[in-house]
Amino acid sequence: MSKQKAHYFHAIQILGDNCTGCTSCVRVCPTEAIRVRNRKAIIDPTRCIDCGNCVTVCHFHAIIPRSDSMKILEDYKYKVAILPAAYFGQFTEDVSYEVAKAAVLKIGFDEVAEEAVITEFMVKVIRQYIRNNRDKRPILSSNCPAVVRLIQVKYPSLLPSVFHQEAPMSILTRYLREIIEEEKGIKDEDLGIFLIAPCVAHVTAVHQPEGAHTHLQDGAFSVSMIYGKAREHIKELQNNPPKIDTYPKGLTWALSGVQAELVDCEDIRTLSVNGIENVMEILSRVEDHYLDQYDYIVLRSCTNGCVGGCLNVENPFVAMSRLKKMIKEGKPNEINLEGIDKLYNSGEFDVVPLAPRPIMELDKDIKSAIKKMKRINEFLTMLPGLNCGACGSPSCYALAEDIVQDRASLDDCVVLLKRHSKEEEDNY
Amino acid sequence: MGEYWNIKPELEDSVKQHFSAPPEAEVELEFEVPEKDFNTAGRGSSEVKDLLKRLGVDSETLRRIAVASYEAEINLAAHSKGGVMSCMIYDDLIHLRFLDKGPGIEDITQAMIPGYSTADELVREFGFGAGLGLPNIQKNSDALHIQSAKGSSTLLELLIFFSAP
Ligand SMILES: Nc1ncnc2c1ncn2[C@@H]1O[C@H](COP(=O)(O)OP(=O)(O)OP(=O)(O)O)[C@@H](O)[C@H]1O
Ligand SMILES: [Mg+2]
Repeated sequence: MSKQKAHYFHAIQILGDNCTGCTSCVRVCPTEAIRVRNRKAIIDPTRCIDCGNCVTVCHFHAIIPRSDSMKILEDYKYKVAILPAAYFGQFTEDVSYEVAKAAVLKIGFDEVAEEAVITEFMVKVIRQYIRNNRDKRPILSSNCPAVVRLIQVKYPSLLPSVFHQEAPMSILTRYLREIIEEEKGIKDEDLGIFLIAPCVAHVTAVHQPEGAHTHLQDGAFSVSMIYGKAREHIKELQNNPPKIDTYPKGLTWALSGVQAELVDCEDIRTLSVNGIENVMEILSRVEDHYLDQYDYIVLRSCTNGCVGGCLNVENPFVAMSRLKKMIKEGKPNEINLEGIDKLYNSGEFDVVPLAPRPIMELDKDIKSAIKKMKRINEFLTMLPGLNCGACGSPSCYALAEDIVQDRASLDDCVVLLKRHSKEEEDNY
Repeated sequence: MGEYWNIKPELEDSVKQHFSAPPEAEVELEFEVPEKDFNTAGRGSSEVKDLLKRLGVDSETLRRIAVASYEAEINLAAHSKGGVMSCMIYDDLIHLRFLDKGPGIEDITQAMIPGYSTADELVREFGFGAGLGLPNIQKNSDALHIQSAKGSSTLLELLIFFSAP
């Protein structure tokens, strides 16, 4: 496992040649991680949470998701794909769940596993965790890696409330490693487990898992790429319907609202939130203890949950509707996860406490921070207050802060520049 | 004219000193709080919270400030004809002032009782009106001062120290 050497922190890449410096990305970044300088966008890696907003908004193909090349499959003898529930929402309704799943076996994988298979197990574990940690309520869901990073950078005081167990994908990976080695006699180094990712945050999480003890997956491919390849085999499979297990009741995982409903029960009240702006508003209210009446809050950075990830092909609402249909029409299937409880009880799914990565503070020392804040306010009074973003910072405030932190100068303000040149003209 | 004071005993000296000779604030912010506009109300508190995060104020103090300022801001929107929220930041404390355009509070002591509320239908529809705002402000502040009378404007101001003892 983990032959992957390439080390990158973010699954987002800027192609400088394509970037026009239009500043669209600057404006949609929830953590203000992007600046345009010298007419090119740059991302501050300490602030980026891999939400994918910039990828979605860039029309110039200048900010692109990074995922692995299928070539890396060659390094392994036995290759397993883990499919997220969102994958099944990508196909048109004439393509059955079975066909969509079996198609993945035709494109280079020896086995295909589904996130959906452990939904029930996850619900059990989450409920248990909530009951054991009543003092930290509301517990915040941790399966969206962008949300976890958001909490680390902007709401570090909430870290103790984050559900501290491996993400479902990783639990499944850990389990598969154990089972496949045992049942099929495949050595660990020959076994490659790959995540099919609906969003860039999941790709990043594969390469740089937060809180995990070990690297679990060997790579990540985008849903759109796998979908593209799988589609070529749909016709042939439809003519020869495959026999393959499915877990319709578990597909709920891709839908933020439905996931919350599953955990909700007599003694556990849940709330479900999706879309990064909503998530930030809710986290801010959790910080002030305004949402203490909830025991569990499901937070997803993308619209409607993972179906809204930027590596999918289908619209999140259409994909959600399809999944709901599959869930409703599907017959429950016997799920046998023998041994998973043993792994769980022996602490195999524990994670190390998440570390804060605060980005907000101007200075370590409050007095110096206040001095900087004063200077920021001074600059702010000089700036036009239009928040046009033409300078390459997301707002006048952000430019003022950039100036004080020596990352920009007043000359970057286009509006001021124009005013000054006009004054000069008038003086002649 | 009714007047109400509540000061944490151990901080009495510093509080009195602050009010008797208010020093010039390091950073000042002001927000309009319009009447019955529950979308805008709350904006001031959330901006203040963002600013304090930038200053590195610890999370527990931050929470106390956020709660007190949010409740006071909502009260302006819910019970008054609107007003102004001002925020003055010093090295060691924050001073928040809420001044509205009336109609004033007739009996402040009564208004401080948990559960006492005159919130109208509209305000309740927005989920406010439990009568817990003022008691909550008091619980989270190091010093609270309210000045009001029937038919006049209400002034509510509070101090919260950054490194609370
Ligand atoms: N700025 C104000 N102007 C006039 N009356 C006020 C003002 N602030 C508070 N009051 C009066 O004091 C009462 C109690 O206020 P408090 O904030 O404790 O409760 P509430 O606002 O009614 O409900 P809650 O804060 O729980 O949503 C209010 O119902 C109102 O009658
Ligand atoms: Mg109130």
